Amino acid sequence: MVLADLGRKITNALRSLSNATVINEEVLNSMLGEICRALIESDVNIMLVKKLRENVRASLDLDDMAAGLNKRRMIQSVVFRELVKLVDPGVKAWQPVKGKSNIIMFVGLQGSGKTTTCTKLAYYYQKKGWKSCLTCADTFRAGAFDQLKQNATKARIPFYGSYTEMDPVVIAAEGVEKFRQEGFEIIIVDTSGRHKQEDSLFEEMLQVSNAVSPDNIVFVMDASIGQACESQARAFKDKVDVGAVIITKLDGHAKGGGALSAVAATKSPIVFIGTGEHIDDFEPFKTQPFISKLLGMGDIEGLIDR
Amino acid sequence: VFNMFKGLVGQKTITAEAMAPVLDKMRDHLIGKNVAADIADQLCTSVATKLEGRVLGTFSGVTSTIRQAIRDSLVQILTPKRRIDILRDVMEAKSQNRPYTITFCGVNGVGKSTNLAKICFWLVENGFRVLIAACDTFRAGAVEQLRTHARRMAALHPPENHGGVKMVQLYEKGYGKDAAGIAMEAINFAREQHIDVVLVDTAGRMQDNEPLMRALSKLIKVNQPELVLFVGEALVGNDSVDQLTKFNQALADFSSMENPRLIDGILLTKFDTIDDKVGASISMTYTTGQPVVFVGTGQTYTDLKALNVQAVVNALLK
Ligand SMILES: Nc1nc2c(ncn2[C@@H]2O[C@H](COP(=O)(O)OP(=O)(O)OP(=O)(O)O)[C@@H](O)[C@H]2O)c(=O)[nH]1
Ligand SMILES: Nc1nc2c(ncn2[C@@H]2O[C@H](COP(=O)(O)OP(=O)(O)OP(=O)(O)O)[C@@H](O)[C@H]2O)c(=O)[nH]1
Ligand SMILES: [Mg+2]
Ligand SMILES: [Mg+2]
Repeated sequence: MVLADLGRKITNALRSLSNATVINEEVLNSMLGEICRALIESDVNIMLVKKLRENVRASLDLDDMAAGLNKRRMIQSVVFRELVKLVDPGVKAWQPVKGKSNIIMFVGLQGSGKTTTCTKLAYYYQKKGWKSCLTCADTFRAGAFDQLKQNATKARIPFYGSYTEMDPVVIAAEGVEKFRQEGFEIIIVDTSGRHKQEDSLFEEMLQVSNAVSPDNIVFVMDASIGQACESQARAFKDKVDVGAVIITKLDGHAKGGGALSAVAATKSPIVFIGTGEHIDDFEPFKTQPFISKLLGMGDIEGLIDR
Repeated sequence: VFNMFKGLVGQKTITAEAMAPVLDKMRDHLIGKNVAADIADQLCTSVATKLEGRVLGTFSGVTSTIRQAIRDSLVQILTPKRRIDILRDVMEAKSQNRPYTITFCGVNGVGKSTNLAKICFWLVENGFRVLIAACDTFRAGAVEQLRTHARRMAALHPPENHGGVKMVQLYEKGYGKDAAGIAMEAINFAREQHIDVVLVDTAGRMQDNEPLMRALSKLIKVNQPELVLFVGEALVGNDSVDQLTKFNQALADFSSMENPRLIDGILLTKFDTIDDKVGASISMTYTTGQPVVFVGTGQTYTDLKALNVQAVVNALLK
């Protein structure tokens, strides 16, 4: 499971507190070191990790604290609080409304999995009885329309796109308008991959967004991304109103810690995860249950209550 | 003359304690530049081992000595031990009347097909005839993607500019077929048609996906390409080490050969998306000992460069 390794390491580190006979600076630092190490190895942004460490240190004064169990409990809950802050942006995930046209625009770096995930999401809603469709506003990548078309056809999802129109803004507007008039409920707009270093690509993204006024913008990210994630995610958020994150390729070996950086940078929750190349390799993601499971809250509570 | 002063200035040897805080900082710095945590550790440890007990130069402190040692290591890691000269090797294969084959492999979405097209363009610009083998028979649109590139490049280099010969062609058999078989047919076709180079595109796959890794190993085993390029993106973090290790491992394990073909070189893509966080280049070359043969720096055909070792090392240490 996602980040499971990270969860285990953190739980182990926290448990080391219970095993120590006295809790002094050394024990605390070694535990924090272990946790930070686990986070860094999972690709969480190093600045965020340093911040977490500082925050924990700042809210703990060992000399001032009561002895024994209380001390352990306090440390554990401070650490836990900081970890939760990393995964939980504190905002509720946007939900589509039945019976109306919900427009969802996908954005992200090149090759992150947008086109594949668009179909997965449309299919997910279609299976639940929503009227779903896809619009291909990627006129840049070779074969992009064929890709979406083949995926959509296989899943029997209506789609819109063009081999001749070169302006993604025009296609996006046309597609969304057409499907809106036809009463579609989930209208997904796929866009080209782009990166913050190329202004014109970011400008284009803004124009597509202005043209279709999406109800939600999803930032799609690859689970294997490293330290560049934070600044890219932040740049996307600065340009358009990103409201959700989807992490792809979690079927691989990557721990997906970049997702935590993306959550922090976009202040948006993770809403789905991709776990394979097939259309149903896709799972909804809920922050709260994830935290309890992943960060081993069950375990931690167990520790605290003892 | 300097020997006279030695006693006066006081010879300082470098101790582990003096190095520890500097190396800690260095490690974090490298990790911040996207060097995999394990690799950053190993680098620092080896520098520590190398420097411990050494006499500090008269005018240098611990910090600058460590920096220099790290710099030297980084340069060494990135400097190819073996030069890969594709144009020369293509020439040689051509003189022996056989096509030169390059296989592109890597995880999903890293830029295999796009950078295959860039290399195709580069070869054509150098006067070679290229056949693109569409051996990703799985991902939707993969064949059309290559067809589009082939058509575009053919338009840039029409037969009338090249004595009536087609410079770029696509060999494809649609979807769902056995990739190894298509690659073989393509190579045979190239041999018959006197095409100089075959570029084999393969489907993206996760390094842990055993059936898919077996299939890749088979493709390489039966076709024995002249060059196996691993395509990895500069964006990748700690997973880079695992990707390369497991691709190599799979090529070795599943080939059941005495001397299996492994990864010969690395194509590092999306270098334009990472600012100065260039550490993946270190993780990948350190893990394999193989050179970065090309760097992808954008989405057009000319965005293909050689790695500038000095520039990368400067960015890493900045
Ligand atoms: N293993 C795995 N592969 C995935 C997953 N999601 C997407 N992929 C693969 O990742 C590759 C890139 O996916 P695309 O959907 O084309 O990515 P994109 O973001 O649309 O790419 P651009 O449009 O070029 O920016 C393809 O090979 C997909 O099959 C996933 O969850 N797991
Ligand atoms: N910015 C940038 N984008 C790149 C570079 N190389 C490839 N891309 C983009 O990355 C995306 C994925 O490229 P592909 O060539 O389809 O990747 P792939 O590895 O063949 O993908 P699969 O076959 O689905 O596994 C496309 O949008 C490319 O335009 C590069 O050097 N820089
Ligand atoms: Mg796409
Ligand atoms: Mg491809």
